[in-house]
Amino acid sequence: MGPLDHSQRTSFDALIKPHLDRLYRLSFRLAGNKAEAEDLFQDVLTKIFPRLDELIEIEEPGSWLCRIMYNHFIDNRRRYARQRLVSVSEDRLPGKSLEELPGNLDPVADAERLDNIMRLQRAFSELSEDHRLVVLLHDSEGYKLTEIQDVTGTPVGTLKSRLHRARARLREILANDGTESTG
Amino acid sequence: MNCKLIAEQIDDFLDGELAAAESQSLETHVSTCASCEAIITKERELRDMLQDYGESTMPCADAAFFDRSIAIAAQTGTRRQRNRWVMTGFGGAVAAAMALWIVSGVFFSAPSITEPTVPSVTMTLEQPQTLNLVFASAEVLENATMTVFLPEGVEVAGFAGQREITWMTSLDEGRNILPLTLIATSPVGGELLATLRHEDDDKTFRLQVSII
Repeated sequence: MGPLDHSQRTSFDALIKPHLDRLYRLSFRLAGNKAEAEDLFQDVLTKIFPRLDELIEIEEPGSWLCRIMYNHFIDNRRRYARQRLVSVSEDRLPGKSLEELPGNLDPVADAERLDNIMRLQRAFSELSEDHRLVVLLHDSEGYKLTEIQDVTGTPVGTLKSRLHRARARLREILANDGTESTG
Repeated sequence: MNCKLIAEQIDDFLDGELAAAESQSLETHVSTCASCEAIITKERELRDMLQDYGESTMPCADAAFFDRSIAIAAQTGTRRQRNRWVMTGFGGAVAAAMALWIVSGVFFSAPSITEPTVPSVTMTLEQPQTLNLVFASAEVLENATMTVFLPEGVEVAGFAGQREITWMTSLDEGRNILPLTLIATSPVGGELLATLRHEDDDKTFRLQVSII
């Protein structure tokens, strides 16, 4: 590696690292499973590296990076979306364990929460891709509608309407899934 | 406020997007309406479920995966650049420190060290700082040589102890950026010289480096 390569790598490191967690989470929400998400994540980083000059200049790199990832995913969605949703089993969750989530340590409550997660997973599989994504980004990942607009290019009004309909559909599915609602 | 209006405003209320006065009005109604209170409770439960789902289904990515991904991106991305560091296409403001050296159309007929104004930058001791050295060239320059002469107490990251570093490069017509990560190792500073050579011609650019 020459001095320039090293310098570029150092600059890239410093600029991209603060955004890696968010990018990774977005890749997972888009691809729907870990293996495809990691491929998407890697491909997008490789795509961004030669655009270091733009990354340096951009005022809000977080939105810019997420937009590149989203557009790359849309252009190559068949490649990254072979398995749409993460598998959740009773003995293993891919993310934080129930004990790590906020709330009381209560075996009964934990069982309910796990049940809810599995019910949601089934419900998500019945939503359209647009509806699933807006709910996951807004309600599960904490994006604001304006942030989703920045990433996807979809106007806030459309997103708001989608979110409203998606939640209504989720409620409908959950109410008719043959199990009792929690709470 | 009535129950129908509440139903229309619940999403905005729970998403924190309802104006303060309307939120207050909604809360007042809900406190006296068992039906609306039940709806609000159900909506909160759904949001809690979705939040739990977000955390429980998200795999943990470790730092090693991130580092590996950056390394692969740098390796593959550098190949894609075909060993050219020249980049064009400016848009907005440059966040990092920037020195701008203009290469005029009579670039190589000019004597060395011709810039009337020496750009300057202030560095903090022991803190890596990436400088974006910006060159504007009136023409494409292939197979040029860039040599950076560092002042005392300043190093290029990854090249500890080296005061002079040379590499082959080329310039596009227009603006070209060279990101250079420097580290100040002692509070001395001075002039950083960057000499660009092409065939029998050369030009030296200067940057005053102060260290605090």
